[in-house]
Amino acid sequence: MAEKKEEAVIRVKDLYKIYRVGDSKVRALNGVDFSIYKGEFCAIVGTSGSGKSTLLNMLAGLEKPTKGEIIIAGEHMETKNENQLVKFRREHIGFIFQSFNLLGTMNALENVALPLTFQGMDKATRLARADKVLDLVNLKKHKKHKPNQMSGGQQQRVGVARALVVNPEIIFADEPTGNLDSNTSEEVMNLMKRLVREQKQTLVMVTHDNHLASFADRIFHIKDGKIIKIEDTREENKEQE
Amino acid sequence: MRFFDLWSMSSSNLWKRKVRTILTVLGVVIGTASIVVMISLGLGLSESMMKEIEENGGLTTITVYPGESNSFEEDNTDKLLTDELVETIQNIDHVDVASPVLNINVIGKYGSYENSYINVMGMTVEALEKMGFELKEGTIPQRDVGRLQFLYGNQVLAEFYSSKGGSSYWETGELPDIDLMNDSIFIIFDADAYWNVQYNDGSAGYGDDSGTPVTPPKKYLVETCGVMAGGPEDYNQYSWNVYCDIDLLTTQLKKVFKNKAIPGQPTTSSGKPYKELYYNSIYVNVDNIDNVTTVQKEIVELGYQAESNMEWVESQQRQYGYIQAVLGGIGAVSMLVAAISITNTMMMSIYERTKEIGIMKVLGCDLRNIQTLFLMEAGFIGLIGGVVGVTLSYCISGVINIVVNKMGTEMQLSYIPFWLAAIGIIFAVLVGMAAGFFPSLRAMRLSPLAAIRNE
Repeated sequence: MAEKKEEAVIRVKDLYKIYRVGDSKVRALNGVDFSIYKGEFCAIVGTSGSGKSTLLNMLAGLEKPTKGEIIIAGEHMETKNENQLVKFRREHIGFIFQSFNLLGTMNALENVALPLTFQGMDKATRLARADKVLDLVNLKKHKKHKPNQMSGGQQQRVGVARALVVNPEIIFADEPTGNLDSNTSEEVMNLMKRLVREQKQTLVMVTHDNHLASFADRIFHIKDGKIIKIEDTREENKEQE
Repeated sequence: MRFFDLWSMSSSNLWKRKVRTILTVLGVVIGTASIVVMISLGLGLSESMMKEIEENGGLTTITVYPGESNSFEEDNTDKLLTDELVETIQNIDHVDVASPVLNINVIGKYGSYENSYINVMGMTVEALEKMGFELKEGTIPQRDVGRLQFLYGNQVLAEFYSSKGGSSYWETGELPDIDLMNDSIFIIFDADAYWNVQYNDGSAGYGDDSGTPVTPPKKYLVETCGVMAGGPEDYNQYSWNVYCDIDLLTTQLKKVFKNKAIPGQPTTSSGKPYKELYYNSIYVNVDNIDNVTTVQKEIVELGYQAESNMEWVESQQRQYGYIQAVLGGIGAVSMLVAAISITNTMMMSIYERTKEIGIMKVLGCDLRNIQTLFLMEAGFIGLIGGVVGVTLSYCISGVINIVVNKMGTEMQLSYIPFWLAAIGIIFAVLVGMAAGFFPSLRAMRLSPLAAIRNE
């Protein structure tokens, strides 16, 4: 397959995360190995407590692994300090949250431009870029709206735009439709899928919903801190075509 | 992040929480105002002290008086002020001018007006030049005129009262109708004799035409060479006096008193005057304020009394320094309270914004930017508080001065120089940032996980 020959954007080797709860140890991740390639839409599926969120947090550099390596865009995440991690996220990573996490005091445009602000981009340029991305997510009419003037689906589309605006190597999405009803969920999922295709982005999504996971190219099933199955939906899709 | 973005972000954060910001700022306003006003009181006090000193004789002046007469070993006459001493003092390092001063009280008359207490100060022309009189008209006494000339202080005129029962300037507010410059003023040098005539002749009372058995003292016409600038109420150290050339004055006095003792001169035990004329004091002008103490010490070592404003100034300054420190300390207490309230506000704000801070971190906001953001917010509170506080201080200071002036003193009790205002604002900003430092550190260290944890 053509995609597989491309470089791995994410390479995870033998990853462990062990929490100490009182005297006992909880193995949130118990030896995980996988690679994600450029342009892929991957879903990490598992029940709550399976370790999927921990995995995502570590990929995004929000948590430190107990053991193992995480290589993203050629850089080792586990050796970076907090400052370097922040810098790395600023330049290489987009993030979509379950509860949207837009800043209530800013309108849609400003929210999308926020990561560019952190990069030190001047106001005119960043607003122009945010404007373009908002067009991509079909929010032309809501650019000046504050988050509380928008529906959940619209807010999450702003969230998607915010992740896309920095043109990151990878976008992480943590239960992106967890706070949306099923129709809106479909809508947002389709949007994400389309954008990933069009923009040639790599998207890693965490969900507990198998149906939503089926939007992805590859599905990682995780249970008790281990990947138990990797499903590739592209072959099935091709067969269907 | 760009500085402007940080700036607008932190200011909009403050704007969002208007009420809380205003309350916190209010604390800083009160703190700044109390410090500034308190210090301004101290400054006003020392400022008006310095002004008073200027009026009472500049800071570079030393006045020498005869040696202490209560010392047992020495003869009184040894420590009297002589020409030799003037010479000696003149030769001390840093002494600019040393001039003998001879003063005598005389009576001035013009028509029905009389001034029975004119203090005439005879000094060398050199010293008179040095004293820097501001003249309204005329000149200071000239060296080569050869006849006695008087320079009138600006308040002398107000002391002429009409002997025809009119009241004085101090009661009516009207100056006597005398042109000191052009009218001929008669001077009676022998005041004692004049009073003797007045009181021995109770019936006639006023005027010099009362034919009494006692011969009235002679009147002399003394030319006026100049009048000092200033109104009858503009006091300075010279304004009550009349100045003239000392040599001409001594000649005149010797002529007037002939064999009698000149008033104010020491006499022998038998009441006879000494041959030599002794001076009442010696006026010494030192080249620089820093040398006053040294020169003064040297003169004291010669066995004379020397007075300058220095000691007094120094002790006063020390005293005002204490007052300022105490007042400033009182102000500082309220500033401390304000600082604590800033810290509190910032902590509250950080707790509220945990999620926001977390989002910013996940989206890649630099840790230092986050800290700067909160430091700037705290600094803003300080800045606004400082500016408003200083403005308020000027208002309070104005009110204090108006009230004090209404109570009858002319001094500026509260004085805020520009530097105090500037320091007040800078200090408020620094206090704000110091108070915000700990909270900002806390914000920087908040875990980004808090943001994506779903409640």
